[in-house]
Amino acid sequence: MKPMLSTELNTPEVAVEKAKIEVKNLNFYYGQSKALKDINLSLPERSVTAFIGPSGCGKSTLLRVLNRIYELYPKQSAEGQVLLDGKNILDRSQDLNLLRTKIGMVFQKPTPFPMSIYENIAFGVRLYEKISKSEMDGRVEQALKRAALWTEVKDKLNASGLSLSGGQQQRLCIARTVAVKPEVILLDEPASALDPLSTAKIEELIDELQADYTIVIVTHNMQQAARVSKQTAFMYLGELVEFDRTEKIFTSPREKRTQDYITGRFG
Amino acid sequence: MSTAASLHQSRKRKNAVMMTLCVIAAGIGLAWLALILGALIYKGLSGVNLAVFTEMTPPPGDAGGLLNAIYGSIMMTIIGIIVGTPIGVLAGTYMAEYGRFSKLTTVVRFINDILLSAPSIIIGLFVYELMVRPMGHFSAIAGAVALAILVIPVVVRTTEDMLNLVPNALREAGTAIGAPRWVVIRSVAYRAALSGIVTGILLAIARISGETAPLLFTALNNQFWSSNLNAPMASLPVTIFQFALSPYEEWQQLAWTGALIITLTVLGLSIFARSLTGRREDR
Repeated sequence: MKPMLSTELNTPEVAVEKAKIEVKNLNFYYGQSKALKDINLSLPERSVTAFIGPSGCGKSTLLRVLNRIYELYPKQSAEGQVLLDGKNILDRSQDLNLLRTKIGMVFQKPTPFPMSIYENIAFGVRLYEKISKSEMDGRVEQALKRAALWTEVKDKLNASGLSLSGGQQQRLCIARTVAVKPEVILLDEPASALDPLSTAKIEELIDELQADYTIVIVTHNMQQAARVSKQTAFMYLGELVEFDRTEKIFTSPREKRTQDYITGRFG
Repeated sequence: MSTAASLHQSRKRKNAVMMTLCVIAAGIGLAWLALILGALIYKGLSGVNLAVFTEMTPPPGDAGGLLNAIYGSIMMTIIGIIVGTPIGVLAGTYMAEYGRFSKLTTVVRFINDILLSAPSIIIGLFVYELMVRPMGHFSAIAGAVALAILVIPVVVRTTEDMLNLVPNALREAGTAIGAPRWVVIRSVAYRAALSGIVTGILLAIARISGETAPLLFTALNNQFWSSNLNAPMASLPVTIFQFALSPYEEWQQLAWTGALIITLTVLGLSIFARSLTGRREDR
């Protein structure tokens, strides 16, 4: 351990760990308007990173750059570099579908596909793997167990995914994401539409998943960021204001804007 | 206090007047439907017997049925749907999925809306010029093509609308799991919009099964049994048109019966289509 003082000011400690994703000089545009301004940060492997900030600060936008889902819409463009294991995923030669099998995403509202619980999970697996029925059964079970949903649904795998409760649907979405064996999981306010009990379950799940996956979570809820993440990035008006260990952000932030936000003075 | 009370009174009065007017208007609208249905059942039901479905249209003064007309209507409707539906669904898919943000979509939607409200007799004339004149004779296939042209705008419209109702989040979720665009459309968007798209097709069937004008210029009519698509073919609406205008009582009776059959079929299809969308909204 280095003495705290020497690293505190300019090099946050998170930078020394092994980076899974490195964002370099990233700018993002919605048409003409600039939504992200020169973002630089690196996300350590097998660890939870939270993006916090007021509405419209660009935290979701940044998340949506990481799997290039923004490309579904015209007039949205990114420039700069996003390195996944050292390879720039913003490169034109990057195969988008393969990228998304490596970087999974779970959305704010639960989005089960209009098919059975079993098919919701098998759907993604079948896209890139040809496996037998029994192997598929195993994969579905494994994914549902991983998402702490197995005991609740094991007797009704053929029921529609839409028949589950909101919290269960969200865990189904996490199971579906985990089933395709990604390396990174992006969570876009995964618990904001859920009740406190379901939220607790999702947070518990995030805690378990970080042993195997690099996790990035966008959240409005600062307590949630403090509970689940190892490092936190505070964003404001498209800029990355501060990025550091979570406890540091919440106890002794360097920037006044961070201090104001976490103490509830704005946002 | 008193002004508030009198204001309340006057509002109550206005409300009562407006509500009475609305109920009367709705009653008038419904009354016509009830009268039409009542007249059809009163005049048509007595003519419904086995012969209607087993015998050909008779010569004047003879007893007979509507078999060839019913067969012709079903045949041309089926072909019209088979030809029109894929074009309509694919065009709607382009507009809602691939071309959602493109200028072409706006243009196609505008033209489609014009086609949707085009008088069907114009479609009949168009197909007459396109097929009947070059071929030198009326034919069932020309009739089916005219019906297909009527099917396309209905199906385009409903397909696009229903796909637009599928939340974008669902498409993003499919994309985020690594599914290529066409898989997302096929396995996610179509599934979510299925009942709506089927409803559109049913409504298209309901619309074309009662069309007379486009068939007058294309399939014409046929007194006899014919399954030859390259020859004129009878259809219920055209037969009704011809028989209802005739002075012969047997023909007039058959026209009433045919009208009843068509109306009940269209009514049944509409109710079925409604029940499909209703179930979707309940979910």
